[in-house]
Order: sequence, then C-alpha cells, then structure tokens
Amino acid sequence: MKEPIVTADCIKIPSSQEFLPDVDGFIEAKLRAFGVEPSAIADIAISITEIVNNGIVHGNKLKPEKLVTVEIGRKDSFVEIIITDEGNGFDPDQVESPIEDKNLLKEVGRGIFIAKSLMDFVEITSSPGSATRVILRKQIQDFSV
Amino acid sequence: MKITDFEKDGVAVLEPKGKIMGGPDATMLHDRLHELIEHGKKKVVIDLSRVEWMNSTGLGILISGLTTLRNCQGELKLANVTDKIQSLLTITKLVTVFDAFDSVEDAIKSF
Repeated sequence: MKEPIVTADCIKIPSSQEFLPDVDGFIEAKLRAFGVEPSAIADIAISITEIVNNGIVHGNKLKPEKLVTVEIGRKDSFVEIIITDEGNGFDPDQVESPIEDKNLLKEVGRGIFIAKSLMDFVEITSSPGSATRVILRKQIQDFSV
Repeated sequence: MKITDFEKDGVAVLEPKGKIMGGPDATMLHDRLHELIEHGKKKVVIDLSRVEWMNSTGLGILISGLTTLRNCQGELKLANVTDKIQSLLTITKLVTVFDAFDSVEDAIKSF
C-alpha cells in the first residue's frame, strides 16, 4: 500500500512521515464534524500526531509495508481515538521523563508526555514483542450548539 | 508549511507558516535553519506568529537550532509565541530554555 486508506471512522497509513498531514486532515475534519471547539481540536490533533509518529518511527521502524491505524469516534461527551501500529512493542515504564534536567535539551522523547498532558485519558498497551495500541480520550464541549 | 526569511541588523529572521508536525514540513524548517547556520548566521529569530501549532517534532527542531547556534557562540530567540505553543513550552519546561519576545523587533534588539 502506497497511499492512505480512508473509511468513515478510520485511516490507515504506510509507515512514512509524509502521511502525517493526511492523518491530521482526516482527524480535524472528523472533529469539526463532531462539533469540537477549535482549541480542543488542536490539542487532539497534536496528541494524535505524536502517537502516530511514534508508531511510524519507533514501532514500525519506517517500514512502508507496515501500517499505522487511527480510529476515531465520539461517545457522549468525549472523543476516543485508538492508534495501533504493527511493530514489536516497548515497555512504557522505561520511557524517561522529558522534563528532567538531563533530558531537557534532547531533541526527541516528548511525544507521550505531551499527549498525556493534552488529553484526559491515555492508555498504552504494549510490551516487547507485541504491537502497540494507544487509546486517547478527551472530554469535549459541543461547539456547534 | 511555507517559510520565508529576511535579515535585519545582522539577525536572520525565519517566518514559518502552518503546522509543524513532522514529515516534509518539519524537514523544511530544520533544513532552512541549519542552512542559515552553515552560512555563518549566529543570530537567529524564529517568528512563530503564523504557526498554527507544533508538536514535539517542532520543539525538537527549535532545540536543535538552539544548541547548534550556542555551540558556535550564537543564539536562537523566539518571537510572537502563540498561546498554543506557549502552553507546550510550559508543560515541557522548555520555557526555561528559550528566550521569547512579544515582537520580532524586540527579539532583534535583544541581541
């Protein structure tokens, strides 16, 4: 697969960062359709690009035959996004805090921290040898009302 | 994303526009920033007024520019940081690392 596959509530992309704008475009269109207010759209879009980028680079190791899948849905007062890669997993407990002094000037390693800061719920299911699945949720106010 | 740049009073000013999320947009900013440094520019301001938002990739590019410049006795300063980016700088504690100014003029004068 060389192009994203888009369905009503899901986008699947090959593991290349060139497809991040496709994910962002899909997600922002869905969030606007859900009536999510603009500031929350940015928080959600930032968080999703963080996790998708991790899936592309660290999970799937940039192998284009491996996919990153993003599913999105609105459930009552919150939006839920599930991101799955096809990589070999990692131990979330081993991820260092990017706000420790020794890590402050590192160029990478902030993605999960930022997603946890901007979203109301982040659940990472992963272990060495298995694919990674991340569930993100954010409470929303209906901006369209 | 689009990037324009100009020079004033010996300071290179970069004006990225759009979102910085990784992929081709981020590469463009990284490459332009490092191109300026390779051409001997040691005083650089990035005007963030037209950056809708950025993620950790964008923050990584800013850090890369800052550390590269400081290693050659230069400095990177930020101008017109939007609320969304300011919030990211605060939660990541990078607000303690970057000098940020309310305008490009103020950032240029600070060198």
